[in-house]
Amino acid sequence: MAVPRFLDSLRGAATEAGGALLGRLQHVRLPGVGQSSAADDPETAARRWRAVTVLCSPEQVGAGADLPAPLAALGDRLDLRITPAPGDRGTELAARYRDRASDDDLRALRSALRAAKQLIEVGEVLRVDPAPHGVRKPTPQGAALEGATARAGGEGVL
Amino acid sequence: MRAATWTGVNEVSVETVPDPQILNDHDVILRVRRTTTCGSDLHLLGGYIPFMRAGDVLGHEFMGEVVEVGRGVRERKVGDRVVVNSFIACGHCWYCRQELYSLCDNGNPNPGITEALWGQSPGGCFGYSHAMGGWAGSHAEYIRVPYADVGAFVVPEGVSDERALFASDAVSTGWMGADLAGTKPGDVVAVWGAGGVGQMAARAAMLLGAERVYVIDRLPERLAQVREHVGAEVVDYSSTDVLAELREVTGGRGPDVCIEAVGMEAHSSGIQGAYDQVKQQLRLQTDRPSAVREAILACRKGGSVFVLGVFALMVDKFPLGAMMNKGLTVRGAQVHGQRYMPRILDHMARGELTTEHLATHVMPLEDAARGYQLFKDKADGCVRSVFVP
Ligand SMILES: NC(=O)c1ccc[n+]([C@@H]2O[C@H](COP(=O)([O-])OP(=O)(O)OC[C@H]3O[C@@H](n4cnc5c(N)ncnc54)[C@H](O)[C@@H]3O)[C@@H](O)[C@H]2O)c1
Ligand SMILES: [Zn+2]
Ligand SMILES: [Zn+2]
Repeated sequence: MAVPRFLDSLRGAATEAGGALLGRLQHVRLPGVGQSSAADDPETAARRWRAVTVLCSPEQVGAGADLPAPLAALGDRLDLRITPAPGDRGTELAARYRDRASDDDLRALRSALRAAKQLIEVGEVLRVDPAPHGVRKPTPQGAALEGATARAGGEGVL
Repeated sequence: MRAATWTGVNEVSVETVPDPQILNDHDVILRVRRTTTCGSDLHLLGGYIPFMRAGDVLGHEFMGEVVEVGRGVRERKVGDRVVVNSFIACGHCWYCRQELYSLCDNGNPNPGITEALWGQSPGGCFGYSHAMGGWAGSHAEYIRVPYADVGAFVVPEGVSDERALFASDAVSTGWMGADLAGTKPGDVVAVWGAGGVGQMAARAAMLLGAERVYVIDRLPERLAQVREHVGAEVVDYSSTDVLAELREVTGGRGPDVCIEAVGMEAHSSGIQGAYDQVKQQLRLQTDRPSAVREAILACRKGGSVFVLGVFALMVDKFPLGAMMNKGLTVRGAQVHGQRYMPRILDHMARGELTTEHLATHVMPLEDAARGYQLFKDKADGCVRSVFVP
């Protein structure tokens, strides 16, 4: 699965003092934390529904071409499940690939679900870059962290 | 523009960096008037939260003047003098609607890192590493503020910049701890840590009606501030057995509410202190929790403990048995500041909440490295360094 590997990739991604900390993160981490599914076989894991809960009614999520653009872009490849969340929590928007999904596909789906949620709730997708910053000392750690943050919008347990 | 950046473990520089731009419709750009160091920065500086890149702009507690507004901004306008909460919250998601703003679903564009660490991602924070969103910080001439209608509050006339500044983080954090711990009239409240956050937690507890408030620390100048400016009683843990003292002054019950405002670099002496240092250095625990332990042991049966201090991951020797058998409520949070800032600014305007004394060292932004050194070493009586860009 993508997520444990993502966490592994962060191991190199640290400052001097923090490097050791992250290096040992694997040992202090609780089983299952940071992985969308720890005990599933890869096949089952890839078939799981990935879901965000959006504060809106099911109708507001739309369907087909009316879906928020990032989800509509993945189009036919996805099965979608749109159901009211319990209580006052809005709507559960779940998706999974119909066909075999690569790590990149899953990253794209996570990003699309998060972006769709923001578009419905806020009306725009939050951007952080370009953010002002000073000189990036070219260290391998810096580069690794940059790589990791560049991907972090598509990572996580989702 | 000029900005103070993190350039390595315990290294701060002032550099010329690009100006921020409006990237989303709900953004404003602020000209920063005051920005301050916070205890949370120390955990970053020291590399305990290892998601900083060289060149990242520091700072999350600030106020200033709006100089540009995005197309979607409704409430704020150019020229407004505002104080901004340290956490970035959209105002529309379920968490924001519950007033749990620091848990906003839409404030951290890089949720992968914190989801991997904690199972779910809280919101984003200015100047607080790539784990919390990679947002540029406030120790700069200008800062971009996303969701400005939600996070930026107009400072009432008559409230000085120095006073309003601390509504951003120290006061709102302290207030949240006292409030969400359930402080009621008649309560006895104990607060660990007499930094900006602990002092303001104590003041909030008093304004919420606590009958008696004790603040625990070892730094004499901070304890003196607590007596003089907060009006609470103090316990010096370097010369007093804290548990015995709190038991004695509460008729054997223990405080009703215990607020921890120390964090993952807590200081402790003797065997416990050595144990935590070694374990942290060997990375067998990532955080040092001595004040949390003490708060749980001190708290009365059925009482409430609130963890305001920042922790990153794992701690050792957590007194779970005391927590469970004494029926405690233990809670923690990053600051839900948007919930409290209007009320805090009212108290400030009425003179019931003063913070100027926290700004022990006010200096130009160019001196940020010196300001952090003073703050980190608690040298020269430094409680907070405040930078004027
Ligand atoms: N929850 C939030 O949103 C939030 C917001 C701001 C700050 N914080 C956290 O709150 C904590 C305090 O922040 P601050 O700006 O006041 O920091 P600070 O460093 O100025 O103050 C910490 C104080 O704790 C004292 N201390 C150390 N060990 C102690 C112990 N064992 N018992 C009692 N006191 C002890 C120190 O002497 C110091 O005065 C930090 O961990 C910071 O990260 C959390
Ligand atoms: Zn802070
Ligand atoms: Zn939100």
